[in-house]
Amino acid sequence: MIRVLKLFSPALALLFCCVSTAFGANFTASLDRDNIAMGETATLSLTFEGGQPGNVPTPDVPGLDIANSGNSTSFTFVNGQMSSVVTVTFSVTPQQTGRFVIPAMQADIGGQRIQTQPLTLIVTRPGAPSTSQINSGSQVAFMRLTLPDKKVYPGEMIAGQLQIFFRDDVQNYQGFQFSSMPADGFTVGKLSQGGTERARIGDHVYTVIPVSVALTAVKTGTLTVGPFTANVLIIVSQNNGEWGPFGGFFGGQQKQVTLETEPVTITSAPLPTVDVPTNFNGAVGDYTMSVDAGPTNVAVGDPVTVRVKISGRGSLDSITMPAQAGWSDFKIFSPTSKTETSDDMGDEGSKTFEEIVTPQNARIHELPPISFSFFNPDDGNYHTLTQPAMPISVTAVGATPLPTIAGTRTENQPTQAQDIAPIRQNFGALAQAGTPLVTRPTFLAIQSVPVLAFITALVWRRRADSLANNPRLRRQRAVEQLIAGGLDDLNKFAAENKSNEFFAMLFRLLQEELGERLDCPAISITEADVDARLVSLGANQETIDSLRELFQACNQARYAHVQTSEELSALVSKFKRTVAALQELKV
Amino acid sequence: MFAAVFLCAGTLFASDVTDDFSHANQLFAEGKFSEAAKAYESILNAGSVSQNLLFNAGDAEFKSGNLGRAIAAFRRAELLAPRDADVRANLDFARNQVQGVTWRQSWWESWLGSLSLNEWTALAAITFWLTFILFAVVQLRPEWKNVLRGPARGMAVAAVFFCACLMAAANVHFSDSVAVVVSPDAVTRSGPFDDAQNAFAVHDGAELAILDERNGWVQVTDGSGRTGWMKGSQVEVLPVI
Repeated sequence: MIRVLKLFSPALALLFCCVSTAFGANFTASLDRDNIAMGETATLSLTFEGGQPGNVPTPDVPGLDIANSGNSTSFTFVNGQMSSVVTVTFSVTPQQTGRFVIPAMQADIGGQRIQTQPLTLIVTRPGAPSTSQINSGSQVAFMRLTLPDKKVYPGEMIAGQLQIFFRDDVQNYQGFQFSSMPADGFTVGKLSQGGTERARIGDHVYTVIPVSVALTAVKTGTLTVGPFTANVLIIVSQNNGEWGPFGGFFGGQQKQVTLETEPVTITSAPLPTVDVPTNFNGAVGDYTMSVDAGPTNVAVGDPVTVRVKISGRGSLDSITMPAQAGWSDFKIFSPTSKTETSDDMGDEGSKTFEEIVTPQNARIHELPPISFSFFNPDDGNYHTLTQPAMPISVTAVGATPLPTIAGTRTENQPTQAQDIAPIRQNFGALAQAGTPLVTRPTFLAIQSVPVLAFITALVWRRRADSLANNPRLRRQRAVEQLIAGGLDDLNKFAAENKSNEFFAMLFRLLQEELGERLDCPAISITEADVDARLVSLGANQETIDSLRELFQACNQARYAHVQTSEELSALVSKFKRTVAALQELKV
Repeated sequence: MFAAVFLCAGTLFASDVTDDFSHANQLFAEGKFSEAAKAYESILNAGSVSQNLLFNAGDAEFKSGNLGRAIAAFRRAELLAPRDADVRANLDFARNQVQGVTWRQSWWESWLGSLSLNEWTALAAITFWLTFILFAVVQLRPEWKNVLRGPARGMAVAAVFFCACLMAAANVHFSDSVAVVVSPDAVTRSGPFDDAQNAFAVHDGAELAILDERNGWVQVTDGSGRTGWMKGSQVEVLPVI
């Protein structure tokens, strides 16, 4: 098949060129829409007819993000004549509102240079739909924001109600994302999604997704929340929500929509300036307070833990422990706090302050009262919660110096010096710049060196101990060393033609090797031991014969004439081979 | 040749810095404290830092009435030389002039601050190395085991202790920061906005623990449980140790 294609490829190319030139080339640019809202995406299609384009221009328009989103090629046969169409699509995403002109583009098709017409795209700011638009059911999705119908106070937390509506022909939605949540004079807190509801508006049923937004007022005056804007990709059924072979189940139309709410205003009134408790520190809400302390029987300087729990509804995160009067006989350490909320928005729950105090003298008989003031926006009044003094027993002990953690400087604290120390005349050593040692990878890597040294020593020690506890292994190593040294001597004796010394050494080495292999004293090894015991270890006949020859050579040397150096060297080689074969035996 | 170029450049650099430093000292001696403070600051801005430079800058700022900047400079000098008696004395002296509530680090943070982070690192590394070297020697020379057992165990305990101190010091160094108020008319607010409500008053030189940072604002606490937001330009942020 490939060979056939290769054979006919020139013909196909020629045919394609003929087709291209026969029907004339054309290049057009088009937008699927010429008016979109911010957050939406338009599609720009470049269509090349009558041949492959020599170049595909990519328009560059400031304010528009234009990205290639795909290519397609189609061939059509009309009356036996073929034509080709290449389509290149771009997604066009506006970065700002306004009127944009996509300039004319040029492309080479079949040797012709063709130019498109300029295109105009108008990008408008998304707007919230009007009531009549909503009631007509024309809106496939929209969003509403409502705030409580009341005045708020700075520091008060309210819940804004956001409702997101999707018409019943929306099969699915994804990628919901807020693009803007302006709230002048408010801090926007947690979002909490409620259960999905359904509502009939006009002739359509909408799916409603409620979302609560925690808003805390931070200033007074007329405050505006919104417009909140969000982007979401929805899939709209192409046959009015009916599931069937041509719609619904087999996929709807994807649509990127931008939702926007109407801005909502609310009045933030200043906190009353009359009857403000002296220890009021900005807490707004409705709270209760409980206090416990312990231990209550301590010595001077011993720590007493005081827990103040503020429970109720309001901006718990912003509650701080007010300064308490009458605690001058105590040293107060920095308190810690823990907030526990009982709802998703975090406006109900409790905040517990835990403070360590140490009595400074034995005259103390009670923990002073603790009070907490807040402004309740529901009744418009300040309230003060007070925990009465709690009895405590403090006994005197030896003076214990206490660390200084926190405290207010008092005027009667003695100063240690009358003035600061004078300046220095020399510049001193330049401080080393750079990251601390502990964060440098090289430094950390070097710390592995002693660990590796210890592991190496440990392994070495284990191996030495293992050898010391295994006499057979120890003897094996010793004989190996003896053989290695003996071979040198044998070579030397052979070279010097000292046959007596040679055979004495050879006999001894044979005894040592066989003694180690057979696990018996070397001196007791004789030629007669070789056959029977070595065969049981699995030695082959060649090795046994070789051993026998070596032993016989040693015996004959006592009576025979002196042999030549070459003969002795040949015996050394035979000895090496024999020892190597013996060492391979498994004992 | 490169070495010569570097040596020459280093000498010129040192000469320039020393001249600028002497000039600033001269201004201080003439009682031109504000000008001296600016001169020290310009050396710091040029990238040269030394314990004595920060010390003198703190003195100049203190004499100029900039309590917060003085404390910040002394604190930075203390980070370089945590056991310098003069630095500590001047820092304490300046702190005693601060009005109102100020945050103080805990006793164990103060104790950890008696050594710099690199000094803790060196101590931990030395004891760590000695411990494993002793362990290795015991393996190589088992006959010395009885002699080395005590020192090895002691060194191991020391290594664990100094490593724990190092971890604590590193944790404080990298996670905790302190804000020194350097503006005489600073105010904390209930939120990170210019028009947010005032939370509580702070004075020049107050040291506040930092809880959060957002959009150029820092959330601070004064150690008594009160929190508020301050503009980043009103404070100088420093590591605790």
